[in-house]
Amino acid sequence: MIISLAWRNIIRNWHRSMVTIAAVATGLSALIFLWGFNDGVHNTMMRNLQQVIVGSIQIHHDTFFKKSSLSRHIQQTDTLKEALLEAAQGGRIKALSWRLDTFALAAGDDVSEGLVLLGMDANAELKTTRIAQKVDQGRFLQEGDGAACVLGATAARNLGVTLGDDVIFLTQDRFGALAADKFQLVGIISSGEMGIDRGLAIVPLNILQSMLEMNGRYTRIVLQVEPEHLEAVTDSLRMSLKGKGYEVLRWYDMYPMMKQWVELENAFYYIFLGVVLLIVAAGIMNTVLMSMLERVREFGVMMALGCGRGVLASMVIVESIILGGLGVIFGLGLGLFLIAWFHSAGIDLSAQMDTVARFYVDPIVYTEIDTDHLWQTVGSVMAAAIIAAIVPAWRVTRLQPVEAIHHV
Amino acid sequence: MSDHVLLEAGGLCKYYHSGGSDVAALDQVDFQLEKGAFTVLSGRSGSGKTTLLNMVGLLDTPDMGSLHIAGENVLALSLSERANFRLQRIGFVFQAYNLIRVLSARENIAYVLQLRGMKKTERLAIADHWLFEVGLDGLGNRRPDQLSGGQQQRVAVARALASKPALVLADEPTANLDSVHGESLMSLMRDLNDRCGMTFLIASHDPVAMAAAQQCVYMQDGRIVSVATP
Ligand SMILES: Nc1ncnc2c1ncn2[C@@H]1O[C@H](COP(=O)(O)OP(=O)(O)OP(=O)(O)O)[C@@H](O)[C@H]1O
Ligand SMILES: [Mg+2]
Repeated sequence: MIISLAWRNIIRNWHRSMVTIAAVATGLSALIFLWGFNDGVHNTMMRNLQQVIVGSIQIHHDTFFKKSSLSRHIQQTDTLKEALLEAAQGGRIKALSWRLDTFALAAGDDVSEGLVLLGMDANAELKTTRIAQKVDQGRFLQEGDGAACVLGATAARNLGVTLGDDVIFLTQDRFGALAADKFQLVGIISSGEMGIDRGLAIVPLNILQSMLEMNGRYTRIVLQVEPEHLEAVTDSLRMSLKGKGYEVLRWYDMYPMMKQWVELENAFYYIFLGVVLLIVAAGIMNTVLMSMLERVREFGVMMALGCGRGVLASMVIVESIILGGLGVIFGLGLGLFLIAWFHSAGIDLSAQMDTVARFYVDPIVYTEIDTDHLWQTVGSVMAAAIIAAIVPAWRVTRLQPVEAIHHV
Repeated sequence: MSDHVLLEAGGLCKYYHSGGSDVAALDQVDFQLEKGAFTVLSGRSGSGKTTLLNMVGLLDTPDMGSLHIAGENVLALSLSERANFRLQRIGFVFQAYNLIRVLSARENIAYVLQLRGMKKTERLAIADHWLFEVGLDGLGNRRPDQLSGGQQQRVAVARALASKPALVLADEPTANLDSVHGESLMSLMRDLNDRCGMTFLIASHDPVAMAAAQQCVYMQDGRIVSVATP
């Protein structure tokens, strides 16, 4: 009875109700779309960071991340292999690659540059990261390469080398002895990411291992896992490797800035969400309060007939819930439609974005939304509708039948 | 209280404070209503008719006095017990805008039965019966705004009676009707009183209403000054 009466009161004032529902739907779809944009940018950033070179999880010798040195290396021990096998259960680890890296001085014709000399297994790396796709001149490393190297575009320019030129790398081997070798430049990377473009040289893993007296030794394992498995895989690895001289770091343990940035931006969105919710609540409250005040007399009659105040107050709340609910249904539909549309169509911001392009952001934003953000938003709009009903409902419970009946 | 007395009020007082002075809307009213009575409460405007009706209908509480309905000390009831007492025992007809706007005529009549928890088919059948009784056969699906003032009052009467209350209270039921419709509404109520034995207390200064009365109670300045049986 309450629901049917509430519903009829809503359609009785169809025009006013429609305006309210439309306002809720617009507010909600705008929020959902903005979350979609925000999450799209953030997820792309985080994915790019992990997929271009860093990986989702890295395993090092304990304390290597703080103070890297070749003496803090790892080997393919049974402990490590078993830990990886255990963590990979259910296909949670998509791919992994063993790497070796050190600092080196690269010498071109008459300049030298300090950079990271990174040994990669070409095949493993192709499965693990997208670094090979960032090569825009020449080619990436391939199996069977001898002393070949791939340089970041800025580094190559600074060194004054072009494809086919020789680059000499100077560094120390595991025992501190000077090691130097000549590599032929086969590819140049333009990733848009400064650290990679100006400070990275990639050479075949096995060549670097022998150059550094590091045969069978590595500095890190880079793992690629889906975001939903990140914590579980990390926990599993930490559990199996506990006290055995390893460190297991997630991408954001190593590069916390990006995660903090995302959290900061999300915090702004929550503030924005709060403002929109206030508007939504005020709109619904206005409608419900108006329709309540119009019916004071009717409420008086209903009370006289023996209808309890609780029933009348519930009716007002149900009206609010119906208005909010319809607004949510339409808003959710429209919002998800927008997200789906721009998820495939993308929003091209290349004109506005040359400066931001650095931070792993793509110039075309494909909207996507975290389910947490979606349900939080929908839930809070619904909650706003219910809260909006509190004032009118409370006023109903304060009505005196005699005064209500003679209300004009 | 003897068996044939439905309502007994003793020393009812109600004061309003307005403009710095106290107005005694009810001043020591002693009042009895017998079962099956058809009593019209009359008197000049401001004499306290509505106030008395509100007390008797448990819509308002007197400042002093006692009130028993059907042997029950109703002033001792809590707010929700009063609501329930009204639901079970009292039917109301107000001056105007009695009906719930979003409900059809028959749904309005069935509404009280629904509050009492009666099943849908049953209560709609009863509503149809009462629509017939008040001469609105076939108009059951109309909304209040599709009915004339007189028809709306008839629906209100049907609603008041459909739940077979012990007491039907009507405040100026004819005030918004012309004399022809006023008269037919009064004779309808009188007829139902005769046939169904329900007790009516009607506040009205309309001569048409007084003419239909079995007993006329005159009020003046919050007191009952005379009781006449025409
Ligand atoms: N809520 C109120 N506040 C102040 N005074 C009131 C209130 N209700 C009634 N009164 C006063 O109480 C007295 C009796 O009023 P009541 O409404 O019972 O008269 P009535 O006989 O029904 O009059 P009418 O024929 O005009 O309906 C009047 O003097 C009125 O001004
Ligand atoms: Mg009156």
